Amino acid sequence: MATLIKKSTGLTGLKVVHNPEHSLRVVYGKILRAIQKIPPGAAYRKYTEDLVKSRLQVVMDNKTVEEIENKINCGQIEELIQQAEYELILVRKYISWKPWEPLSTQAPLNQWKWPPTE
Amino acid sequence: MVFPIVRRCLQSLNNAFLHQNLHNISSLSVIKRYESTNATVKNTEIQSTIRRNIDPAIRARLIDFGKYVAECIPKYVQYVQLTAGDELEILIAPTGILTVLSFLKYHHNAQFVSLADICGVDVPNRKYRFEVVYNLLSLRFNTRIRVKTYTDELTPLDSVYDIFEGANWYEREIYDMFGVFFINHPDLRRILTDYGFEGFPLRKDFPLSGYVEVRWDHEKNRIVYEPVELTQEFRRFDLSAPWEQFPNFRKENPPSEKISLTEKIDK
Repeated sequence: MATLIKKSTGLTGLKVVHNPEHSLRVVYGKILRAIQKIPPGAAYRKYTEDLVKSRLQVVMDNKTVEEIENKINCGQIEELIQQAEYELILVRKYISWKPWEPLSTQAPLNQWKWPPTE
Repeated sequence: MVFPIVRRCLQSLNNAFLHQNLHNISSLSVIKRYESTNATVKNTEIQSTIRRNIDPAIRARLIDFGKYVAECIPKYVQYVQLTAGDELEILIAPTGILTVLSFLKYHHNAQFVSLADICGVDVPNRKYRFEVVYNLLSLRFNTRIRVKTYTDELTPLDSVYDIFEGANWYEREIYDMFGVFFINHPDLRRILTDYGFEGFPLRKDFPLSGYVEVRWDHEKNRIVYEPVELTQEFRRFDLSAPWEQFPNFRKENPPSEKISLTEKIDK
C-alpha cells in the first residue's frame, strides 16, 4: 500500500524503499548481532543496544509505516534505514578500533590552555 | 520581557518541523510562514547585533551530549568544554580523529552528517604547535559541535576523507597554509598559493611581506620573482599599552569552561 502512495522521499539521493519494515528489521538485527563482539561493559554498546532494541520493538509492534515513523519520530522510514545502516558501519569499525579502552594519550602540558601565554 | 514570547514562537516552529510529514507539507508551510511573520512583528526590540541570552536548557543538553561522547569514546577524548557559553568542543588525541568523527557522523544520537569546516591554528610555543579544528553540523538535531586535535610539523594526521568527502579541499587548504600532513588523503596538493610557492603562509613564523616579490619585467617581457627587498630596515614595534585595557571585564566571559567527565549522565 505504502509503496503505491509514496512516490518520493523528497530528499535528494534517498530512494523510496519497498517493504521498508522488513529492511529495517534486517538492519537492526545485523546491528544487534555485530554488537555482541563489543564487551558488555562498554558504554557505547549499552546505549546503542538499548536504542536499537527500543526501535526494533516499535517496528515489531506497529503495523503501518506511518505509525512507526510517528513513534520513533526521527524522520521518514527511509531515513531510519539509513541511520541504522550508518550505525552498522560504526559498530563494525568499532570492533576493531576498541574505543572503550582507557585514555591512550594524555594531552601535553598547556596544550589546551587558552589564551596560550599569560 | 519579550524573550519568553520569542522562545515560545520558536518552539512551536520547531515542533512544526519535528512533526513534519510528507503528506502535509503544503499545509505546514502555510503555518510556518504565518508564525514566522508573527514572530518578527512582535520582536522589534531584539537587535541582531546583540547576542541572545543562552538558554540553560540548551546548555544542559550540550553538556549532557559532551559527557555522552566522552563516555562512549574514553580512549581518545581528553577534555570536553563549552566555549562562549553554548558551543560544545571536544578535545581529542590526534590518533582518534577517525574514531571520534565516525562516531559523530554515524551514531544514532549524533548524526553530524555535515562537515561545515576544517581549520588550523598555529601556536608556536606549544609542544604540538598546530591545532586542527573540525566543525560539524547535525541537521537532524539542529546542533553544532567542534572537534579539536593537535599535531606538529612532522606528524601526519589521519585524513577524514573516507568519512566526509567534503574534507578533501579543506585538508588541502590546511596542508597548503600550515604544512600539516594528512595520510590517506587522495590528492594532497597545494590549493591556494601560487605555483612553485615556498613556505606556509599562515604559520606565525612566516614573514608578513613573504619571501619573494613579483613584478612585470619589460625587457624580459614576463613576470619575474625576486627576493623581497625592504627599503626600510626591520623595526620592532611595541604596540602594547602599559595599562590594562578593560579592567572591568577582567573576570568576564571565560573563553571556555571544562566539563567534568567524572559525573555520569543523569538519565
